Amino acid sequence: MRWILVLALLGCALVARADFDYGLQPRQIADGVWLLEGSTDNFAQNNGGNIVNSGFIVTAQGVLVIDSGPSKRYGEALRRAIATVTDKPVLTLWLTHHHPDHVLGNQAFADVPIAALAATTALLAEQGEAMAENMYRLVGDWMRGTEVVLPTQTLSPGLLDVAGRRLRLLGLRGHTGADLAILDETSGVLFAGDLLFYQRALTTPGTPGLDVWLRDLEQLQALPWKQIVPGHGPVASSAAPFTQMRDYLGWLDSVMREGAAQGAEMSELIGVAIPPRFAAVSLSRYELIRSVSHLYPRYEQAQMERVDR
Amino acid sequence: MDGRSLLLLALLAWPCTGWSVEGDPVTSVMWNYHHARLLDGAPFVFDEQVRVLLPPFAEDARQVPILVDASAYRGQVVRILAWAELNPIAQIFDFAPGAEVLPRLAIRIRIEQATPIRAAVLTRDGIWHVGSSYIDAAGGGCTAPSVVRAEAGWEERLGQVLGKRFALADSSRLRVQIAHPMDNGLVGGIPEFYLNQAELRDGNGKVLATLELFPSVSENPTLSLEVQGEGETELWLRDNNGNEFKAAL
Repeated sequence: MRWILVLALLGCALVARADFDYGLQPRQIADGVWLLEGSTDNFAQNNGGNIVNSGFIVTAQGVLVIDSGPSKRYGEALRRAIATVTDKPVLTLWLTHHHPDHVLGNQAFADVPIAALAATTALLAEQGEAMAENMYRLVGDWMRGTEVVLPTQTLSPGLLDVAGRRLRLLGLRGHTGADLAILDETSGVLFAGDLLFYQRALTTPGTPGLDVWLRDLEQLQALPWKQIVPGHGPVASSAAPFTQMRDYLGWLDSVMREGAAQGAEMSELIGVAIPPRFAAVSLSRYELIRSVSHLYPRYEQAQMERVDR
Repeated sequence: MDGRSLLLLALLAWPCTGWSVEGDPVTSVMWNYHHARLLDGAPFVFDEQVRVLLPPFAEDARQVPILVDASAYRGQVVRILAWAELNPIAQIFDFAPGAEVLPRLAIRIRIEQATPIRAAVLTRDGIWHVGSSYIDAAGGGCTAPSVVRAEAGWEERLGQVLGKRFALADSSRLRVQIAHPMDNGLVGGIPEFYLNQAELRDGNGKVLATLELFPSVSENPTLSLEVQGEGETELWLRDNNGNEFKAAL
């Protein structure tokens, strides 16, 4: 009897030991530019949703933060991480888009202006609660206390001077319908948000279409960048992420276009072979299943015609 | 280990075994209930040859694609029943394919939570062959607000059918999507209004297959059937308000 109690107590102790530490380590990737790189895994209890890249730029007067992460805890950890590398105050938080892994740390930045594209704010107001709820389901207690905080300022595409640092803002649409990309002209670092995934399968809920996304990529690639920070995956200083994205989007498009032309069912398409060249791309099967759900109905309808009489 | 420890262990283990049935490929507390209610407690076997193809998780709980394929029993199938075990409205369809129609059906459904999905195939020898699968979900698909009703002019499009016939090796696949809100009565203030009957007929009006639908089927139902031969077919549909619709394929 006693050993069962001991085991039970041990079990409780193990659960209580998890201290929900994201272990955020800011890494300097250019002068004044810092990155917090997440894993390329899916949301899970063991990563607390830290699957995302966030970053910050230290200017002469203070810190510009880009994306707040998946939870209140992450946002707070991000604040502490920033304080380990600079004494300067946080000036503002910019959000690249409204997805939960990029915006649910907003509570930790409630004392500064939070800015996003107007359409991003609208999407977050519409979908935020449901997305947060789903995050609780996926990563559990890491989310404790997390609530949706809407942006307080609106960003417009164009050139912006933040404390003497010139930033170029692009308002694009390919990933969610409202995607902000930020080029720091001083360092040449491009924060591409989730318009770029690298070594991690791209996600498609809310995309206006893969063709739109491909056009956005052209525009991004043409910028005078020196380094690319994708929304998910490792930083790159070559065009490799663009090449992979284009290849992957093209493959996804052809799978669904050819599937629809042959009358394939969704349940069949989610099992198609994934080309070996995408073997290094994390979560490709999982995201194929999601993308077929998001996008295949459009491809199907394009094949069909009115047959009622 | 003394008696009390054994009892405690047994109690700890009990919720895991619960009501599940031996040989069941999915863990379910509802099998006995549905077996009694839908199959009248008739003889059955869990059978992997009845394939229930679906994604491992529901990305959109309002439109979950399922494909039931009992081609292994081609020529012997009398009826196919499908249900989502933990849905508030469990039943999905009751399909009776005639000789020219394959015992295979693809459709999209709503699910309210993670659930086992079953397809029970009655063969001529009186045995139900039960195929099983399981889908994970955030849920809420059955009680989500209607998408169709939020679209202006949906009443004018009621019963419009988009479709196409695809030639396969030795049959034709008929894929259709019917504009209909498929109200299931679970969304506040909107009573049940759904397509509940369908028949596939040949050019002379002979019935090739009958299909009863339940309001766990998604809005704007997407259906896919396979029929032998090249002959023209007609899909006849009726909803529970008596509206009839026809499509030629």
